Amino acid sequence: MTDKTKIKETGLLEQYVLGELDAAQQLEIELLLKSDEELADYVLEIEKGFENLAIDNAITPPKVVKSNLLSEISNNTKVVSLSNENKSSNKWYLGIAASIAAFLLISTYFLYAELQNVKSDLEMVSNEKDMLMKDLNNMANNYDDLINWYDIISDPNAEQFILKGNDLSPEAKIVSYVNHEEKSVVINAELLPELDQNHDYQMWADVDGEMINMGLIPKSKGMIAMTYIDNAESLNITIEPLGGNDHPTVSRLISNVYL
Amino acid sequence: MQDDSILISRLKTKDEKALALLYDKYAPAIFGVILRLCKDEGIAQEVLQDTFMTIWEKPDAYDPEKGRFYTWSYRIAKNKVLNILRKPKKLIQTEDLSVYKNKEAIELSNDSELALKGSINKLEAHHKRAIELVYFNGLTHREAHKEMDVPLGTFKSYLRQALKKLKESYSIALVLMLILIEVMR
Repeated sequence: MTDKTKIKETGLLEQYVLGELDAAQQLEIELLLKSDEELADYVLEIEKGFENLAIDNAITPPKVVKSNLLSEISNNTKVVSLSNENKSSNKWYLGIAASIAAFLLISTYFLYAELQNVKSDLEMVSNEKDMLMKDLNNMANNYDDLINWYDIISDPNAEQFILKGNDLSPEAKIVSYVNHEEKSVVINAELLPELDQNHDYQMWADVDGEMINMGLIPKSKGMIAMTYIDNAESLNITIEPLGGNDHPTVSRLISNVYL
Repeated sequence: MQDDSILISRLKTKDEKALALLYDKYAPAIFGVILRLCKDEGIAQEVLQDTFMTIWEKPDAYDPEKGRFYTWSYRIAKNKVLNILRKPKKLIQTEDLSVYKNKEAIELSNDSELALKGSINKLEAHHKRAIELVYFNGLTHREAHKEMDVPLGTFKSYLRQALKKLKESYSIALVLMLILIEVMR
């Protein structure tokens, strides 16, 4: 009890509350107060005394101090939150960028695949076009041929002679068009029976009893132009060894017609 | 002080509203003390704001076991004021870092705003003066007893008795207030 009274009389407790003590003394008092409830209560009363004094003598500070204080702390916190926002917005933008990149990747692949399809389609179409062009050329050629043949056979000067097969080749039939003005001979060999590989049909013109070669009849058949021979009296077709003959093999004459 | 402990725990989680509420509760009392300490409105405002910045930044430095929140913030504010007041005087004063060596500053302003109010005025003059010197003028015990021209022991006794009288005065006031509240009910 006397110890406590002594301590109270030192004034250390008042100095403690007023913050006059150095760190070591302050720690000492703190330890003492922890272990002594009575002294702690005594100090609490000193604290309350000074606090009440301060409340009695309170002066309201200008509002600007509070607003400055609050704006300062919210500025500090806002700096932090702002940078967080930036971070999060960065993340947000990164997400968008990633999505766009992914979208671009997928669409690029898609477009590439489409391009390959279009390329193969184009190639196909181009091939088809080539084929059609070929067909068209063929048709045009055929048409030209046909027009030629038609011109030849429809010419008023063209005379038609039909060579019918004799007993050697009863199925044979050749239509020939002779134009003395144009000096041309055209035949249609479509109805000539096929020969073996070692023989050809050959055409001859009879001029004063002499047989003159007018040419081989190609195996492809169809309309064929033959050599026109002046003053021919008749047209004759023989079967000759492959490649033709200088003189006709009369025994194998299959057809003839007098002009 | 249940309110304070909640506010202080909220303060530790960086709750700005808790700081604002603590400011509303304690700033006028602290401002009253620091304005009388420095007698400079500008410094007092600066120190008040600075004190609450420290409270905001270092709430963990406050331990409720070791004392009241007001006492802790009063000490912070007082140190800040004394640091400011001592700075320019360092050039002149070599040993004694007393704030108010000159009489001028010690004389309490007659300014009605700064004149002391409340229960302190019911005290005897020497008790009032003792409180005034250590609490509102920021003098240490050693400086104050010289200022009052009494032995240190006597000064300590003055202070102790002054606080005791104040306690009684506040207790009566508290009782009267409680009675008043009861009556009003």
